[in-house]
This record gives sequence, C-alpha cells and structure tokens, in this order.
Amino acid sequence: MSRTSLTRLVPRSRPGESRAAFGFVALDGLGLIVFVALPAILALVIGLFNVDGFGKIEFAGLHNFQLMAGDKLLWKSLGITTAFTAMFVPTAFVVSLCLALLVRKPFPGVGLVRTALFLPNVISLVVIAVMWQFLLTDKVGVVPEMLGGVGLGDVSWLGDPALALPTLAFVCVWFLMGYQMLIFLAGLQDIPGELYDAATVDGANAWQRFWGVTWPSLRPTSFFVLITSLVNALAGSLGFDLVMVLTKGGPANSTSTVVFYAYQQAFLYGRFGYAAAICGLMVAISIVITGALFALTRGGRFDES
Amino acid sequence: MNPPPAPGSVTRRGVLRTAAWGMGAAGLGSLASCASGSGDDIAFWHFIVPGTPNYDKWLLPLIKDFNARHKVKVRERYIPFGDYANGPTLQTAFSAGDGPDVFMLSPGDFVRYYNANALADLTPHLSDAVRADYEPAALASRTFNDRVYGLPMEAEPLALFYSHKAFEAANLSEGDLPKTWDELLDVAQKLTGADRFGLGLETSPGYYQNFTWYPFMWMGGGSPIASDQIHSTFDSKAATAALRLWQQTIDLGVAPTKLRGGGGTDTRSNLLTGFCAMQQTGIWAVGEMKLNAPKFEYGVLPLPTPPGGKQLTVAGGWALAANAKGSKPDAAAQFITYALGSEDPACVKRGRLWNTVIKKNLPVRKSVRDLARRKGDFDDPIYQQFLKDIAPTAKGEPRYPVEIYRAISDALQACQLDGANVKDAAADASEQIATFLSDYKGGSIL
Repeated sequence: MSRTSLTRLVPRSRPGESRAAFGFVALDGLGLIVFVALPAILALVIGLFNVDGFGKIEFAGLHNFQLMAGDKLLWKSLGITTAFTAMFVPTAFVVSLCLALLVRKPFPGVGLVRTALFLPNVISLVVIAVMWQFLLTDKVGVVPEMLGGVGLGDVSWLGDPALALPTLAFVCVWFLMGYQMLIFLAGLQDIPGELYDAATVDGANAWQRFWGVTWPSLRPTSFFVLITSLVNALAGSLGFDLVMVLTKGGPANSTSTVVFYAYQQAFLYGRFGYAAAICGLMVAISIVITGALFALTRGGRFDES
Repeated sequence: MNPPPAPGSVTRRGVLRTAAWGMGAAGLGSLASCASGSGDDIAFWHFIVPGTPNYDKWLLPLIKDFNARHKVKVRERYIPFGDYANGPTLQTAFSAGDGPDVFMLSPGDFVRYYNANALADLTPHLSDAVRADYEPAALASRTFNDRVYGLPMEAEPLALFYSHKAFEAANLSEGDLPKTWDELLDVAQKLTGADRFGLGLETSPGYYQNFTWYPFMWMGGGSPIASDQIHSTFDSKAATAALRLWQQTIDLGVAPTKLRGGGGTDTRSNLLTGFCAMQQTGIWAVGEMKLNAPKFEYGVLPLPTPPGGKQLTVAGGWALAANAKGSKPDAAAQFITYALGSEDPACVKRGRLWNTVIKKNLPVRKSVRDLARRKGDFDDPIYQQFLKDIAPTAKGEPRYPVEIYRAISDALQACQLDGANVKDAAADASEQIATFLSDYKGGSIL
C-alpha cells in the first residue's frame, strides 16, 4: 500500500485531538522522567561521591566504579543475576505461551481457568514469598511431603545453595506466568482466523500452523514479553522482593542478586555512593541488552520484515 | 446560568474544594509523619508492636507520664521489626537529615552511627549513681572514651531450649542433656526423626546469625580481632572449630538448612511445633512461651562447650539512643534518661515492668534486678536458671563494624550451608578483616 493511499485511509486528526493526545503522553512522560530517568541519572551522579547516609558527602571521582572491579561478591552477584535471568526468562516465556495456547479457545470453565492462572499475579510478592516458604519447609512442607514418594522428601529447596536459585526462578515463573499468558492471549486473538483457514486448506498440521502462522504473527508480542521479563529479572522487583523475604541472599550468598547486593550496600552498610555506582552499572547493562535487542529487531518493527 | 445546587447535591466546585482540602490534609499528614520533631515535639521510633502489653502497659504510659511533666512532647512511631532492623526506613530518614530524635539501636549498628557522629552524648544527663547502677558490661558496649551514647534497655542471653516431649519420644532423659559439642551432635542425632530435626540453629545470613555463632567461637578463646585492634585473629583454631561444628550439624542432617517462620528467634514455629527438638534462642522466648503456650513443657541449658573450652554465651539487647543531628538532642537525651536512667523510684519500677513483668529478660540495672527479686519475679524455675547458670557466663554483644560482620557472615554461611573448607573460609575472612583494620580510623571496636 502506498503512502498516499494510507494517508487517505487514516482520517486527519483535529487540533484538539492532538493536544489531548499530547496531554495523555505528557503525563506518562512526566512519570517516566521523574521516576525513571532522573533516578537513573542521579544514581550515576551519586556514584561519583562517597555518601555515608548521615549527611557526609565527599567527591570520590571514579573510585566507586574502580572498587567494583575488585569486589568478588559483586561479580558473584552479577553471575547469580545472569543465571537467574537465564533460568527465569525463557522458562516464563515458554510456560506462559503454552498456557495461552491451552486457554485460547473457549471451553466450559475457560474463564475460571484463566482467572486461576492469573490469580498469583494479583497477590503481593511478599505474601507469595511467605506462602512458598511454608510450602517448601524442610521435611514437613507440602512440597517435600509430596515429593517424598519419589525420594525427594529430604531435599532442602531453599537451604541448599545449588537449589535455592532455581527454586526462586520457579516461584517467579509461577507468579508471572498468568500475566504473560494474558499478553500472549491478546496477541493470539489478534491473529486473523483466515490465516489459519488458509493454512488448514493447504494441509498444514497443528505444528505447521503454529510455526507458520502463530509464531511469526506473535513476534511483536513475544518481543514485548521478552523485554519486560528481562528487565524484571535484571533489575525489577522479582530480583529483590522474593530474595529479601525467602532467602535474604543466602544460603551462602547463592541468591544474592545485584539489586539485593546494592540494597545491602546502601541500607545495611551505609555505602550509598557505592550502591549508586552498582545501580549505574545495572542501568548500563540493561540499556545495552535492550538496545541490542531493539537493534536486532529494528526497533521491534516486525510487521515490516 | 447553572441552576443553584440542590441541598446535599454534589457540585464540580464542591468536589474541587473537597479535593483541595484533601490534598492539604494529606500534605499536613505527611509533614506530621516527618521524623525529626517540630516545635515542642520529639520523635521516638521503635518496633514495639501496638496492642501488645509492651506497648500498652509500658510504652504508652511512659510517654504519657513524660509528656505530662515536660514542655517537650514525645511522639512515638511504630515501625515493624523486619523493616526497622533490616529495612530502609531508619537509614533513609537519617540520609535525608530527618532521623528520629530518639530511636532503638542494636550493638551491631553502634559503631557505624557513632562514627557518623549521629549519636548524642548522654553522659551529662546521667548521674554517677545511675552509671554505677548499670551492669558494667551492658554499658560498656554503648560507651566510647568513657562517654555514654546509648542506654541499654535489657540483656538477653542465649541458651539452648529443649522440648520435654521430643526428649521423651526419643527415650532421652535430663541426664542426656548435652554438655559438650560432641554430646550435642550425638543427642541431636538421636532426636532427629522423619518429621523432626534434633537441633535448630539460625541459618539466614545477617547480624542475628553472627550474634548466635559468636559464643561458639569465644568458648575456645577465639576473637576476630586482637586486643590492639590492628590485627585480625580470626584465622584461629577456635574459629575454625566453631565453623566446623555448625557445618557438622548440617552435614549430619541434625539441623535444618532453613528454620521455619521468623527463624532463630521464633520458637513458636520451630520448638513448639516440634520441627526442632532443641533450639538455640534467647531469654525472650521464656516470656513468649508463657504468653503463647503456657502448657508447653520445655527446659533450658547452657550452650555446650568444646573440649577444653569455657562455658560462655552472648547477651544482646537494644538500647535507646538520641540523634545528635536532630533538632533537640538535649530533650531527646532527657527523655531517654527519664525512661531508663534516672534515680527516681518510678524509673526503677518502670524498668522492672519492662524487664521482668511484661517481658522476661534480664535487667541491666542492679536496682531493677533487686526490686524484681524482692517482688518474686525470678521465682519461675526457668528464669531462675537463666539468672544463676547462664547470665553469669554472658558476654555483651560485640559491636563489630559491618566489614567485620560481613567477612564472618560469608565464612559462616559458606561453611554451614555450602560445604566450604573451614580453614580456607577462616583464612579468607581473616584477610578481609585485616584489610579493613589496616585502614580503620573510627571509634573503638572492642
């Protein structure tokens, strides 16, 4: 379709509508500036100072950033965050996509099933953490009791350093799968039925219909889900709230994510400048990763490929 | 022209006016929640839960009495314990220059606050008689260069609590109570079953876990720093032995890798439920069990000792401190001495109420202890045992700075839960402590 014909199809907006649109965007933009952009810039600036949390502020130049190079625990935290992201993001993606495909078509009680799957997402993460703490209690928790039959009753899901992080990732997937399922569901319902009809007429089986129609049509939705869950895993509440309540970074620092480590540096050890420098590093990492993803997908413009 | 609004109807202007008042009230509300006192007020932040006897019978009457006798008025603010001890609220307030005038402070944080000049000197407000009335060890951990920067509210020693029912179920009697580390592991093994661990030690990393582990290190004569406060002595036989003991409890499967509920301080979720047959916890559990499970049969015993070791425990406890950077540090100090450190018989009576009537801990003032004894508060056999057998062996909670705490915590966690080599872990921690000490210029650590 040519540009001229597209212009003809889209009605020209009236001046009042443009102002209203600007107003709506401005509010959101203001929120982003105040709560995201400014704190990110401030974190980088505070990272240049030694701040003791009691009013003493000294210019430190790049000292805090240099300290990071020799901080073994920070590097360990970065490794843990990477491992957590690698476990959580793809698993949550696959599980929520599968769920969306399962509840895509109406069947008796489909609303109930969708609601049940989404329910964990409306509960506070702290409550989720406390609940899973009970379920996973060594020996007498529901999970060890259930797994006792297959010889896994004595496994300590939160107390074993090798298992604590995967367990956290599992709880995060359980928490977020309903939300991501809804996003996928919306994407699936936007796919025109004619495409499936044409594929069926061409003799495509279920897998071929998924791979040839559903998957490419879902690319913008998949991109959104991927970016949001990635940011959530790297620097969001998932990497902090559950750790704070369930493990406090333990056992043996095995769940000490970078966000949690930065929190400890600031609020337990009073090293605000260093914590800000760590947050600056995380901002930089997030920008590089999301920037790379945007570059690879040409800004998420899948429909033009 | 719009018609006049009917009586009781909602108009746009009315809604706007209400909204404006609402926003104004919200603004005033947030001003009122500012930490540092304004006008004639001083702010007191604490974690004493509203509705509990500690709050209703001790805190509120104390504030009411003080406010009735002084021009300066105290405003209290409750902050849940988890947030107060490990959360950002207190630290954020100090960072913003808006810390509370009076606040509760643990020994673990004392050096950091002192080094930041955030603690007001309480010495001018204390009489010599009151200073002499305090147990020397309790006051020493809040003193720098003979100046007092916090008044302790209590002493809370740790011991080993055990369940009679669990011992009976394992065919064990009082004669089997462990006195040595070897016996501790042996008895814990006998008590461990399909649904029960023999022993409960803290597993979550933090100040509290270190606090519970220190006596095991001290028993063999260990310490993380030398008396010159320049050299690290953590890489010692005593420290490695204590690390090995905690590791063995997990390796042998006699202690859980994660305690239930609130962890080591929580007897209700661990000892009472039968999850652990023995649990290391503090004297506060005596009062809690009396309140929550008066029929639960249990006993206490001193922490077992290593071969050739000395019986020791640690006594923690919170102190009240005044914010030197607040608007009224003198008034704040006056309130603290009124509450805890005056010669007035009412103050001693209040101390008894807090230490031995409402809570069950050990008074840090001799006068309070004497009054409690006269009133028969210590007649409870378990309380008696704490007083006679355990308290005399208690050392005050150390005020190691966060760098030392962190090095020890990492070593302890790695050994207890990750199977690290105890000698390597102790050597690593010792090196970190030595690096820190070589550059440390703050207040005295010991």
